[in-house]
Amino acid sequence: MKKKRLLFLATLVASTALALTGCGSSGTDESKSSSSKDDGKLMKVTIYDDLANYQGTAKGWFAKIVKDKFNIEMNIVAPNVAGGGSTLFDTRSAAGNLGDIIITGAGGGRGQKLVKAGLISDMTPYLKDMKYIKKYKGATDSLNNVIGQKSGVWGVPDSVSSESPLSSSEGTEPTFGPYLRWDYYKKVGYPKIATLEDLIPVLKEMQTEARKENPGKKIYALSLFKDWDGNMMNNAKQPTCFYGYDELGFVLAKANGSSYQDITQSNGEYVRALKFFNKADQEGLVDPESSTQNYDTMYAKYQAGDALFSFWPWLGQAAYNTTAHKEAGQGFMIAPIKDMKIFSYGSTTNGTQTFIALGSKAKNKQRLVKFINWLYSPEGVSASGAQTGGTSGPKGLTWKIKDGKPVLTDFGKKVFLQGGATVPKKWGTGSYTDGVSPLNYPAVIANDINPETKYSYSYTLWPSVLSETRTKLDTDWSNHMSNASTTMDYLEKNDKILVAPGASYVAPEESSEISSLRGQIKTQIVNTSWKMVMAKSDSQFNSLLKEMQTTVKGLDYAKVLKFDMKNAKDQNKARVKIKKEYSGKDK
Amino acid sequence: MNVIEKKEVTPGERIFQVVNITFFVIFTLICFYPFYYLLINSISANNLSAAGAINLIPRNIHIENYIQVLQLSGIPLAALVSVGRTVIGTLLTVIASAFLGFMFTQQKMWKRKFWYRFVIVTMYFNAGLIPMFITMKNLHLTNTFWVYVLPAIVQPFNIILVKTFIESLPKSLEEAAELDGAGTLTTFWKVILPSCTPILATVAIFTAVGQWNSFQDTLIYITDQRLYSLQYLLYQYINQASSLAAMVKNSTGGALNMGAIATQQTPTSIRMTVSVIVVLPIMFIYPMFQKYFVKGIMLGAVKG
Amino acid sequence: MQEVATNNQKSNKKKHDAHSQKEKRGKKLFLLIVPFVILVLLFSYYPLFGWVYAFFDYQPPIPLNQSPFVGLKWFEMMVQNSTQLHQIGQVLANTFAMSFLNILTSFLPVLFAIGLNEIRNKHFKNLIQTLTTLPNFISWVLVYSIAFAMFSSSGMVNELLRNFNWISEPIKWLDSDSHTWLKMLLWSLWKGLGWGSIMYLAAISGIDPELYEAGRVDGANRLQLIRHITIPALMPTYFVMLMLAVSNFLSNGMDQYFVFQNAFNLQHIQVLDLYVYNVGMGNNSLSLATALSMLKSLVSVVLLFVVNWTSKKTRGESII
Repeated sequence: MKKKRLLFLATLVASTALALTGCGSSGTDESKSSSSKDDGKLMKVTIYDDLANYQGTAKGWFAKIVKDKFNIEMNIVAPNVAGGGSTLFDTRSAAGNLGDIIITGAGGGRGQKLVKAGLISDMTPYLKDMKYIKKYKGATDSLNNVIGQKSGVWGVPDSVSSESPLSSSEGTEPTFGPYLRWDYYKKVGYPKIATLEDLIPVLKEMQTEARKENPGKKIYALSLFKDWDGNMMNNAKQPTCFYGYDELGFVLAKANGSSYQDITQSNGEYVRALKFFNKADQEGLVDPESSTQNYDTMYAKYQAGDALFSFWPWLGQAAYNTTAHKEAGQGFMIAPIKDMKIFSYGSTTNGTQTFIALGSKAKNKQRLVKFINWLYSPEGVSASGAQTGGTSGPKGLTWKIKDGKPVLTDFGKKVFLQGGATVPKKWGTGSYTDGVSPLNYPAVIANDINPETKYSYSYTLWPSVLSETRTKLDTDWSNHMSNASTTMDYLEKNDKILVAPGASYVAPEESSEISSLRGQIKTQIVNTSWKMVMAKSDSQFNSLLKEMQTTVKGLDYAKVLKFDMKNAKDQNKARVKIKKEYSGKDK
Repeated sequence: MNVIEKKEVTPGERIFQVVNITFFVIFTLICFYPFYYLLINSISANNLSAAGAINLIPRNIHIENYIQVLQLSGIPLAALVSVGRTVIGTLLTVIASAFLGFMFTQQKMWKRKFWYRFVIVTMYFNAGLIPMFITMKNLHLTNTFWVYVLPAIVQPFNIILVKTFIESLPKSLEEAAELDGAGTLTTFWKVILPSCTPILATVAIFTAVGQWNSFQDTLIYITDQRLYSLQYLLYQYINQASSLAAMVKNSTGGALNMGAIATQQTPTSIRMTVSVIVVLPIMFIYPMFQKYFVKGIMLGAVKG
Repeated sequence: MQEVATNNQKSNKKKHDAHSQKEKRGKKLFLLIVPFVILVLLFSYYPLFGWVYAFFDYQPPIPLNQSPFVGLKWFEMMVQNSTQLHQIGQVLANTFAMSFLNILTSFLPVLFAIGLNEIRNKHFKNLIQTLTTLPNFISWVLVYSIAFAMFSSSGMVNELLRNFNWISEPIKWLDSDSHTWLKMLLWSLWKGLGWGSIMYLAAISGIDPELYEAGRVDGANRLQLIRHITIPALMPTYFVMLMLAVSNFLSNGMDQYFVFQNAFNLQHIQVLDLYVYNVGMGNNSLSLATALSMLKSLVSVVLLFVVNWTSKKTRGESII
């Protein structure tokens, strides 16, 4: 029987191979002109970009800079915008040509496969005089490591940095942190908060105060949401970050490699966070719509001032800290929890797993490499950066040098501090924000020091900007926090931050067996977590925990955990290694 | 006839009528409300609408959402493509469904049953994304307008509908035509087609709505922006809003000015606006088909 | 004798002629549909070579001919251990329940069409017909936004009930596991009823008016006309729809269940399509997806023929 089946399959394969190769060969025709000479004419470059949030021909001031400098018109292919998950990647690679320039992730074995399938090409022949690409040789070598190549430059990773991997890559605010509505915290008399659980009585007082002031409004201290849940309940992971942990699969790993926790362990930080939410829920502090609402709905509540606690500055502050609110002393600021040690991502000297590469079917490859090189130059970094990155924009438009220091121009102030402006004719058309780089590619970390100005690429860290943006809220917070100038300043001075060295670790591809088990396990964990948060009593909480532990055990949790644990430890090895390399370089 | 009917209304029938109309009025309201909900939310202040504060009356009315959507570059061309594929695609599908539905009632056809089943079972087949893409590429249909139309011509479901309908027609019609010496095609054209208008109207509505709403095929087969369909353009816009919002999640530092960009228009507000824009033309065109649902309209004409 | 023989031969020849002529006619008829058969071959059968992907571990961008052959691995992976089997049991129960409820209520569009047909004011009728199809055009994502606005714990319905002092605690419409199947059924009915009745309205329009006239002459009232003329006329279409629904037993689609799922109702909302999505989301494997859709296609086609055969035996009519 078995033989028969195999035979059947073999014939089937043979018959279809014809159909498939028929398609593959058509791809090669396109490559024949790749070696022909560059005539310098206007060139339409297709850029496959996993980071982009814009699809189509780039327009605006950044596109104009690129066209003026390289005579290149960028046509962005953006899976984010096209939709359909990996459809675009799958069909384009089936057709044998992803794009002339490719920006994608190397994780999950993709980098390796791109080389194997012949979709990207080595830049080595074109690297003469490309000093910025060469400058990040450490990064390109570490990428080779990931994609299993011994030599060559197959791509340049993004977010590279010249800073120490031991210093935080974040600017004035960390990625995670306990942010409170400072105005109510002030009103209840700045109570001391020794540890996470102490937040509950404080939040309760704040909630009572807020409801008293706004009768009829449905204000809750905490508002949660369900749509970012992954391997675990996303919201419940956040408090673990206040104590230096971050997730890797089903493992919580401490930034300094001192502790690894299985998220389902009863005495772990994840269960502690669930317990914290459950306590808060039993006290009536959790918005009852939490388990059914999505990010949009919840965000609107923050905007309306209906939530008093935020795990992230980019939630609470982005939604509520408008200039008007801040001038009135209202807004989200970090809370002084005595024992917190916030997880922070270190500067990734060798970049992250996302990289920019040269498509194998591209024409005029030399020109394209020149363009990539420019993206890593001080001029390119200032001008592009990510859409969110807060880089300062092109010199002369948004900023200038005054007394040897970078300051925002009037136009720059309009753009960054007052909500936008239309660019002057000389620079193109449209508003400034519409014209930012559609690549959304942060070649270098925005907080890196621009060697030409000696100040960071990000304007948010310039002294001239920091002093200008100080409001009543900042002053009050700063007075209470022993005159810290920014959140980062406070955390660093008080040793409340734990930087995970910025290693370029890329998780290996997981087998289909592991990922199918993971799919089933995470559904269990996420759902039981929510039930635990909404549990009516401690005993119900505990029995749900037991139930979760037994169910996942039945789903071969141990196997997946072993895989994740190994990855977490490998990640730490990479962190230790970069730490050593860097301190070696220093001496 | 109406006069006679009115006289004959019995109490039972009257009760039936009252219950019937009451049901339909209530059900219609339930069906219409969501659309109304989308409409008032798409014109109310976006933060109020995201907070769920708009349920019955619009507040802080603005049409910024519509302006934003309609300002997307490429809208006129995409609309043309969408109208084109809807009109041509529907026409071809209706003709094919009518013809095949009729042919499969012809007992004399060689291996009729086999071919009928051969066509019908494809309803359940799904070859998968990559094989479909490779097929279209080998047929040189990618990046052509025809990829919208050709694969959709033979639709088993519609063929079944038409065939069932034809089988319920009085046999005498066809027989009479044959006695008059009409060939198969003449019978189809002169007798069957005019009698089938109600079901062909149904097929037309199903196909037209399907064509109008489809964006998957653009996503897979089309990279030429001149061939984007309206739905795909709008779908892209929704994705763009969502991915901008999600970007806030991944950003570190400098997030403050970003928050403003991502949430001026929430993905939900855009989705609502797009939904209204897309449904309006359908609502406008649909009543035009309804005249074909009048009882026996063509049937009587042929006989008379 | 001879004469008889020749006669026989003659008639045989005649018969044969008639037969071959008939066959010729039949083939001629077939020639007319050949262009369409070619379309079906090209767009439905030719791409089926893609089913071979189910036996490989295909991961773009690596082409198929360089991908590892894995045999039946994808088919086996779903059923590795007892907890999984238990879960799949629940998932199948949900799938069957939803399909069964949908089949049980499949006569509602028929009633809807009949009822609508009884409304005499033409403009009112058209208005109702247009408006009741509206929900069909609203995506499930938006349906959920509306459901959230209506039924969340501070949604419109709960607020209303609270204002009337009918309840003190908000009713958990969305985040509880009570009557999940029923709720899902009601949502899908609301969305599809008006749209689903269109083809029955068409079938009603196709009924010969003479039949009604004859019925009236015989003294039948409206309800009797419905029972003896309208309903029998709708039955063929209804049965075809029913058979198709039965063959589609395993496919409930996932959009509806995906948007309504949450921690509290997951146990009863997870139908096969949603389960596959929830499990496969992480690895996003085209091969696994192919294996599943292949399995579903085969089951559906088998079901279709079984149903067809049953129908032939019981009703004396086959559907396909």
